[in-house]
Amino acid sequence: MTLADLEINQCAIIKQVGDLKPRLLEMGLIPGTSIRFIKRTPLGGPIEVKVRDFYLSIRLDDAKTILVTV
Amino acid sequence: MMQKLFWLQYNMKKPLIALIGNPNSGKTAIFNLLTGLSQKVSNYPGITIDKKNGSVSHHKTQFDLLDLPGTYSITPETIDEQIVSEQILAWIHNPELRPNAIVSVIDASNLSRNLFLTSQIAELGIPIIIALNMMDRVKAKNEDINMDALKKLFNAVAVVPMSAVKKMGVSALKDEICNSIDSDASNDRNVLNIPSEIESIISPITTFLDSHFKITTQILRAIALRLVTRDSASLGYRNLELLTNLEYIELKDIVSTCRDNLNEKGHSSNSIESILRYSWLDSQLTEKLITNKIDVKVKSKSETADEIITHPIFGPLIFLGILYFIFQSIFTWASAPMDFIDSTFAQLGAWLVNVLPSGLLRDLLVEGIIAGVGAILIFLPQIIILILFLCLLEDSGYMARVAFMMDNFMSRVGLHGRSVLPLMSGYACAIPGIMAARTIDSWRERLITILVLPLLSCSARLPVYTLLISAFIPSQTVLGIFNLQGLTMVTMYLLGTFTAFLIAKIFTKFIPQKGNSSFVMELPPYRIPMLRSVFNEVFQRAKAFLTDAGKIIMAISIVLWILASFPKMENGESVSIHESYAGRIGHAIEPVIEPLGYDWKIGIGLLTSFAAREVMVSTLATIYNVEESEDEFISIKDALKNDKKPDGSPTFTVLVALSLMVFYVYAAQCMATFAIVKNETNSWKWPMVMMVYMSLLAYFGALLVYQGGQFLGFA
Repeated sequence: MTLADLEINQCAIIKQVGDLKPRLLEMGLIPGTSIRFIKRTPLGGPIEVKVRDFYLSIRLDDAKTILVTV
Repeated sequence: MMQKLFWLQYNMKKPLIALIGNPNSGKTAIFNLLTGLSQKVSNYPGITIDKKNGSVSHHKTQFDLLDLPGTYSITPETIDEQIVSEQILAWIHNPELRPNAIVSVIDASNLSRNLFLTSQIAELGIPIIIALNMMDRVKAKNEDINMDALKKLFNAVAVVPMSAVKKMGVSALKDEICNSIDSDASNDRNVLNIPSEIESIISPITTFLDSHFKITTQILRAIALRLVTRDSASLGYRNLELLTNLEYIELKDIVSTCRDNLNEKGHSSNSIESILRYSWLDSQLTEKLITNKIDVKVKSKSETADEIITHPIFGPLIFLGILYFIFQSIFTWASAPMDFIDSTFAQLGAWLVNVLPSGLLRDLLVEGIIAGVGAILIFLPQIIILILFLCLLEDSGYMARVAFMMDNFMSRVGLHGRSVLPLMSGYACAIPGIMAARTIDSWRERLITILVLPLLSCSARLPVYTLLISAFIPSQTVLGIFNLQGLTMVTMYLLGTFTAFLIAKIFTKFIPQKGNSSFVMELPPYRIPMLRSVFNEVFQRAKAFLTDAGKIIMAISIVLWILASFPKMENGESVSIHESYAGRIGHAIEPVIEPLGYDWKIGIGLLTSFAAREVMVSTLATIYNVEESEDEFISIKDALKNDKKPDGSPTFTVLVALSLMVFYVYAAQCMATFAIVKNETNSWKWPMVMMVYMSLLAYFGALLVYQGGQFLGFA
């Protein structure tokens, strides 16, 4: 399942990050990192997650390239 | 190579200390605390990115401080980060440029992500001091950080607990900086252990670099790791001309082969550096009990606040409310200082007319220079108020939320969540707005933001709208609650705004996407902005506006004064503006602007607007004064109303006024904006594109209003 499929407040572990977003890796979204889904914005806008000690927003399409396990 | 590196050099007389840290780590706040008022903001050559320097004197030791833009990694993603990346590359390849120490500023409440950059910096062979900022937040969570273990982990000179907000730890940091200068510390230990398998795969890169540069093996390995991970890591080698074109291509080939080999062995090449560093960091932080284990379930106060602030319905409503408040304040608070500046310059002009003998010098001073300076200063109150609000919103962490909420809409029209702040600045003045577009990481979205930004009605249009509306739009109530004058004003603002979105969408069809568009935005914890930082920022940006835009407005004011006062008659008297070069140009363009409903006098006004749009108002005042050649001042409003064409029909009608306002909504009249766009896009192409599309819009928009209005039977 992907990060975009998580429900609000659901926690998961990152399994694999898509190839296109090296910046996300540099920010610490590496495989094995815990992540919590915070919220969506209407009409398929960006989502917010909590990872490590910070809150991050990324586009929904990018979230779909991040595989997670619950 | 040396020439290219020259701008990265520094006054070497004093010891140099550099500040490096993540965005939102409080780096600039610490810089402000250390330097006080002694800082200087200059631009990096060729690009308008702020280069902040300051000098500090602490117990007999003096040193210079360099504040680099915030970045998450040495490998760059935006142009701001490119500066950091190239500065570091210059240090690596030119040891004499190196700072005596680097202060790695860390948000202690967000340790592991901040330490990623620290782990990269610790491998540069330059002594580092870790400034653990925001310790107050860590203490508030009842946590602690093992400073000794941290110091050992990074082989740091010192770890200094700090809180910039509480002004805590500043003196201790100064002490440690001075100690590191005095002790002449060095740092040549590797931090990260690269597994031998990976090290042997990337060894061709290390060998290549080793044959071209004299660098220690530890730094070589760190560079090779960055190069194999990301393409943008190699940009600096080309930009700084560290390698010839051929060598650069050779390096890219070697890197590409190494990537293939890594991928074949099952290591994803574009994540290798991040995975190695974070795995190492995470294990070290836990093993050495440096900090508590991270629990993503912990809900912060900001998260709770965001339940309302970024709520799908309340969020946008709150944003609209804030926008309304800001614009209301700009228009009400700024009017008193603007009137003051206006009358001061009028009095100064009148005084000079009295004390100076009449002649060319007096005319140049009064009508050229003082009028020009007045035209610049008059906008300062509105710009200061707007920048103040934007700084407060930015520093409090709110603007990141706005970008988050607006990104969906913005990206649909070809813009970006980060376009919101520049666009908002555009309502005061396009220039600070265009400069603020730098934080947009995708080139296309940044370019489109810059290109459409001048369509938003800046404060220079306001006097033109105000004059025309008060003279020609009847003050009557429509639909029960709206005043027709107010409604016309709002319509002009909305017209510019909606057209900007439309044009942005059209540009997406013509400007190809370079690389990927992405929106990766940290939502930092809310905090109360530090007044000192805010005032500092407002001051620096107001100063930049005055010097950057001021120079151009000034120069054009003088040129226009020459056009309006020459040629002189044989006896030295000025000719009427009708006969002047400006008048001649006005007459010459009359056939072109006649279909829009304008005569030559308006033509002169359009011409003088190239200095700044509001000059239109004073030009019209001059024209009507000059023409009537009467002693008493005719109220410009009445003059406009009473002016007749040669055939006896009025020059100005409601339709002409509307056509003129639409022209001003769209026209690219500001030369200062033109110059800034050239600067920011580094080419003449984009300012030309902007000029052409805006002029076409202005001409045909005004034509449509005037001819369409006549066709529909409005006189």
